[in-house]
Amino acid sequence: MKYLVTALSLFALPALANVPITGTVEAKCVIQTTKDGVYGNPIASKLSTTPADGGVLPVIRFDVSLADSYTANITHPTSFSTSPTLNDTVAWTGSTSVTQTSVAGMSAYEAAKVVVENTTIFDLTLAGSTWFSTASSATYGSSKPFVGGVYTALVQASCIAK
Amino acid sequence: MTPAYPIVKPSHVAGVVKVEMSLFNSREEIEWYQIELFDLNWTNIPFASSYRIINIGYKERKSFDVYIRKSDMDEAVYLCTTSKVRKTSKSRTLVSSRICSRLDGEPA
Repeated sequence: MKYLVTALSLFALPALANVPITGTVEAKCVIQTTKDGVYGNPIASKLSTTPADGGVLPVIRFDVSLADSYTANITHPTSFSTSPTLNDTVAWTGSTSVTQTSVAGMSAYEAAKVVVENTTIFDLTLAGSTWFSTASSATYGSSKPFVGGVYTALVQASCIAK
Repeated sequence: MTPAYPIVKPSHVAGVVKVEMSLFNSREEIEWYQIELFDLNWTNIPFASSYRIINIGYKERKSFDVYIRKSDMDEAVYLCTTSKVRKTSKSRTLVSSRICSRLDGEPA
């Protein structure tokens, strides 16, 4: 009996098995607003998000999970989405820049950006997060003062699969 | 919105295909997203879905199917969701975000 127990114990080795855990990361883009933009009113005929004009630049964050899968297309406004009634033309200017990156190599996005009319296109060639800020300025026709009221304008931030 | 390159599957209706999509809302200030389908030149293409505009809470995920006519599949390229922003009482810029998947496959 003693020999039998000893013999069996030799076979009582711990059961080992490798259980694989697999997963895939698919291409994904997430857009978040890090900071809301605010129009400053440095002179009566101008509304501007530039800090020097008393405004706040909107900051938009793009997170992409896979490199070289998306482009970021950011369009600055060319009209107000809400405003008091305006009887004269409004001249619009704007631009979009890279302000912060999670990967050092993303700083090259700024030099490689393509501007098509009021849209700035960034090729998101690296995975990670990129922060963009959009400047927007509106000047009322013939330097007239803007009518009192609330003015809002829309920045369109698009993440488009390549 | 995922996947970036959805698989086009047959549907239960002859001559109609479907794509299965999932949308995650990462923007606290947004509750509504609009689904749109475009060709390469950003011209709208007709489609059917349970939702045209989806109500989705912050940090929530919702799945939806988009049904497209087979005859439109040669033209259909971008399937997008666009956030709908609320009217505000402050002079400010609002950010409308749009995520687009491609129906014509991954880049070679």
